[in-house]
Amino acid sequence: MVAATTSDAVLPNSGGTVLSVLRKPSVLPGFGLTLGFTLTYLSLIVLLPLAALALKAAGLGWSGFWDAVLTPRVLAAFKVSFGLSLAAAAINAVFGFIVAWVLVRYRFPGDRIVDALVDLPFALPTAVAGIALSALYAPNGWIGSLLMEWFGLRVAFTPLGIAIALTFIGLPFVVRTVQPILQDLPPEEEEAAAALGATRWQAFRRVVFPALLPALLTGFALAFARGVGEYGSVIFIAGNIPGLSEILPLLIVIKLEQYDYAGAAAVGVLMLMASFILLLALNLLQAWMRSRHAR
Amino acid sequence: MAIQVSGITKQFGSFRALDAVDLEVRSGELLALLGPSGSGKTTLLRIMAGLEFADSGSLLLNGEEALSLTPRERQVGFVFQHYALFRHMTVFENVAFGMKVRPRGQRPTSTEIKRRVMELLELVQLAHFADRYPAQLSGGQRQRVALARALAIEPKVLLLDEPFGALDAKVRKELRRWLRKLHEDIHITSVFVTHDQEEALELADRVVVMSQGRIEQVGSPADVYDRPASAFVYEFLGQVNRFDCVVADGVARTANGALSIPADGTVRGPAIAYVRPHDLGLSPSAAGPGRVSGIHVVGPDARIEIDLAGLPLEAEMDRERLTALGLRLGDQCAVHIDRARVFPQP
Repeated sequence: MVAATTSDAVLPNSGGTVLSVLRKPSVLPGFGLTLGFTLTYLSLIVLLPLAALALKAAGLGWSGFWDAVLTPRVLAAFKVSFGLSLAAAAINAVFGFIVAWVLVRYRFPGDRIVDALVDLPFALPTAVAGIALSALYAPNGWIGSLLMEWFGLRVAFTPLGIAIALTFIGLPFVVRTVQPILQDLPPEEEEAAAALGATRWQAFRRVVFPALLPALLTGFALAFARGVGEYGSVIFIAGNIPGLSEILPLLIVIKLEQYDYAGAAAVGVLMLMASFILLLALNLLQAWMRSRHAR
Repeated sequence: MAIQVSGITKQFGSFRALDAVDLEVRSGELLALLGPSGSGKTTLLRIMAGLEFADSGSLLLNGEEALSLTPRERQVGFVFQHYALFRHMTVFENVAFGMKVRPRGQRPTSTEIKRRVMELLELVQLAHFADRYPAQLSGGQRQRVALARALAIEPKVLLLDEPFGALDAKVRKELRRWLRKLHEDIHITSVFVTHDQEEALELADRVVVMSQGRIEQVGSPADVYDRPASAFVYEFLGQVNRFDCVVADGVARTANGALSIPADGTVRGPAIAYVRPHDLGLSPSAAGPGRVSGIHVVGPDARIEIDLAGLPLEAEMDRERLTALGLRLGDQCAVHIDRARVFPQP
């Protein structure tokens, strides 16, 4: 805020500060005020804790950091966390898309209830979800016992269980990002495709799907980010076997319990960097897609 | 290709959009479906295209029953009011779409597609916009792309739903003329929907006037304008002065007696008389029953509002004529009616 007001006072031909360069004449008031507020707020809420985390990890030094991070156990957990989050987000992208499609395109008895059900994974305490899922999928649970009997498949206390938990909590992200875009999609474009001789499938693949892809990617990214950070629901169903079904957030908690604060911070920083790179890549991909057909 | 519509009925809930409509579209003509919103004109067009389903009736395309056919099988070109271009495709890809989605056996080669698309873009004068996205084009350009896209499938019929409705007045006029010329060049059977009577009268070979799901009149533009079949058509086509009156002995008199209009012999009793503003003659007369209550000059035309003993009238003449008459605001004048139509009170 302070920077913005001083930039107003700068003489017009003195070159000005960065802010006055950014500032274009606009009828929308409050550029300086809102930008200042946004930066302050983001600094307090997001950047400050993250900086503290990085600072703590920095206490280890460069080689100390890599020593803490490049252990077989951390790397295995890294693979479990990121691999399964991506897998769960991919599953959600497919099935969440179908759920959104059905909710928007068809009217059926109880559609409102189904619509409300989608949000439950948001609201449910994750530990409750984890306990419920592990009870269901345990070798003696309802679904788990059947899967064991029919396919010899063990779900709970394996990476597969983690994937199921992450799929559960990630579903609303995909549904809720795709739904409004699908709702606003003008029917004329599909009709135009039909009039031009496209089959239903061609109209979907060439006209509807490309229009929804940016939203689907956003949903995918959100579900993925949520999956990486998820703790509560996973630890109950994962079995937490080091090197096999141990996730990074759990590893951090374990390190904290051993008073290895710097080590925990190092793993946190590793997660942060990897997530940031992935999300940035997804955002850039989206920006590129949007730029091809701006509004 | 000729289109034969018979007994088409369509109901939306309790609203009857089309009520047993019969219509023949002749091969190679440019036909306008004209009517106010809710008259069923768009519904009729969409049923022809296969985008809407009729409840009953039959539709023959070139003598073949078409109601059970999908839009894909009907091979009609459809142009939407809001263009409905594919946003994520370039102009080129939009126009090529119809050819690319054809079954493998009938699909042209990609060089052939490219040649056809460029040819069509040449036709709509947008060849150097091939790589643009629809968002980068103006409204008029988008509608021309939509037209090229519809023509790319070599349709037997071209259906246009308010094709100029979303454009500003100047572009609309240009595009209208351009479409007329295009139709003269390629002579494809075309049906377009509009609520703009000027557009229908200027562009079409024949005009179909619709109201409340029924066809009021079909005829050439001159026909429907000069010989309207019903009070609705008279009122809908152009500006009009309307009087409630009573007809006796071949003369229609308004309630206050200020005006008497010759009526043909078929009408008796309560009636409605219509006079077009340009059929209303004025002459300055200090003892005349009318008083000039307003003068609006728009370009070369003048609109004069007359207060005829409490009855508001509107007359229209060119500006020079007004100057010659020397009428001014507040002047008294005589009113004579050159031409009028009297319809029985419904």
